[in-house]
Amino acid sequence: MAYVLQQLLKKSAKAYPEKPAVWARGKSITYRELDERSNQLAHLLRAKGVNKGDRVGLFFPKCVESIISMLGVLKAGGVYVPLDPQAPADRVGYIIGNCGIRILITNSEKRVVLTPETLSTLESCILTEGTGDGGELIEWSRLAEFPASHAPEVNLIETDLAYILYTSGSTGRPKGVMLSHQNALTFVEWCAEEFQVRSEDRLSNHAPLHFDLSVFDVYNTLEAGATVYLITEDLAVFPTSLANFIETQQITIWYSVPSALMLLLLHGRLTAEKLKSLRIILFAGEVFPMKYLRQLAEVSQNTELYNLYGPTETNVCTYYKVERERLASMEKLPIGIACANTDTFSVTPEGRLAGKGEAGELYVRGPGVTYGYWADEEKTKKMVVPNHFQEHFDEKMYRTGDIVTVGDDGNYYFQGRRDSMIKSRGYRIELGEIESALLSHPGVREAAVLAVPDEIIGNRIRAVVATHISGSLGVLELQQYCSARVPKYMIPELIDLCDELPKTSTGKIDRVKLAAEPAAVR
Amino acid sequence: MIESAEVKDRIREYVLEEFAKTKGINQITDQEVLTKNGIIDSMGIFRLVAFLEETFNVRIGDEEITHDNLESVDAIERLVIAKAKK
Repeated sequence: MAYVLQQLLKKSAKAYPEKPAVWARGKSITYRELDERSNQLAHLLRAKGVNKGDRVGLFFPKCVESIISMLGVLKAGGVYVPLDPQAPADRVGYIIGNCGIRILITNSEKRVVLTPETLSTLESCILTEGTGDGGELIEWSRLAEFPASHAPEVNLIETDLAYILYTSGSTGRPKGVMLSHQNALTFVEWCAEEFQVRSEDRLSNHAPLHFDLSVFDVYNTLEAGATVYLITEDLAVFPTSLANFIETQQITIWYSVPSALMLLLLHGRLTAEKLKSLRIILFAGEVFPMKYLRQLAEVSQNTELYNLYGPTETNVCTYYKVERERLASMEKLPIGIACANTDTFSVTPEGRLAGKGEAGELYVRGPGVTYGYWADEEKTKKMVVPNHFQEHFDEKMYRTGDIVTVGDDGNYYFQGRRDSMIKSRGYRIELGEIESALLSHPGVREAAVLAVPDEIIGNRIRAVVATHISGSLGVLELQQYCSARVPKYMIPELIDLCDELPKTSTGKIDRVKLAAEPAAVR
Repeated sequence: MIESAEVKDRIREYVLEEFAKTKGINQITDQEVLTKNGIIDSMGIFRLVAFLEETFNVRIGDEEITHDNLESVDAIERLVIAKAKK
């Protein structure tokens, strides 16, 4: 049994050396190549001073080198931090500083996006593509100078960190969720068993690599000796191309947010023929509207459908296998029951376990649960709390912030959030992070950010902004200001300007009233 | 008959104002791949198509919404001109 992630690759590289492991942008590499390149990268990283536990950033668009880099960092004993290649320089710079990244794997095009301040904190950049000037730059071809046949000797155990995934933070800065090898493997092993992933399988990877859905795509592929097909932006944006891709690449396992599947249904000209090769469709990250799920079930008669649930802090912790015979009468899709080696329970506001039908916050315990947030003890203490239901030894549990009920069928049903976190296209968005960005503008006096429900993407983002001087700020100016601070999916699509925000009797911003007011038509 | 240069100007202006600028990108070239830096995403592509259909009085089918047809201002212009001629 593997106890660190790179052992999954070792096993498959031995069993299937000449089999393609990763495909992206028309190019593929075999298990042997993936193993050798990641060995070389690991030696290079060690030579550059990467030691056990050191963070290495990955900042470039998805390609086969992404997977080589993830494995290379792990083999060097490091912790990889996938950075959103489309995120603004300020946010990437914050993350690099927050977790102390000194070595960055990037390409010449992305590196120049970074600010001089960020670049000055980096000791060296390894370029997957291109060359450049200034600072220590190491070209990818230099890998050839290092041993390919074996990885460096590093004594890693399962509780060591493997990667850090940054998600939106309510106080205005993203927070880094620390995940260990054991955290990831708990999930990977459950998936391997539940979905019986085999070496003949062809998995798609739709999610970005800084999004935890990709953990399944990458590591369950390696676990089974299968092949993963990385879906890049030139495919993801065009539904008919994506539908044709599923058919021509004979994808057998698909995993994405529901909105990606909905766009395929609405514009992909999907037919049963196109989806013939699919044996499993997994979705997670947001609520799948029943109407579209029924349509999906209709065009994928022989495919098993699963709704997976879980925040980045636990990866997937509950799952529901769609019962086709119940689809016609089902009003709401359950999030299901706990995965293997995971315990879940819901707790009422008074702190006792919720009964049947009673609403409570979902708590999770088990080896899949994060240690907490990088360099943020306060937030960690709030979310990863002592399990007071366990009297005999110390144990932690994670509070998801999600309110659930247990239905008559024994499944959990998601009811809403305890706080102001929302989902859009499966992305976690803290409305407070966007408000902080707006409020940092000198011309902004007050700002409230609201979610506008949207059938396809879950939520659109609307901001209501009061300025210091009436008419001094434009919508576009504010959107551009946000674009330098938050990822693109967090920029308010709609912004209403006013002189003052409505208040409740206690002087707080009246969000109920704001939500009831129709958004201005652009 | 609309002039090719005019078509291109209107497409460039729309992409710049509606997509690029709101994301902090103030300049685009006609060859720039619009999906690459997230200027146009999976929802934006349908707003773009609706704009093209309305402005140039053409009909663009789902099967024509592809990378080759819509990857850049140049590509979009070629698509619109080809459609308008029919």
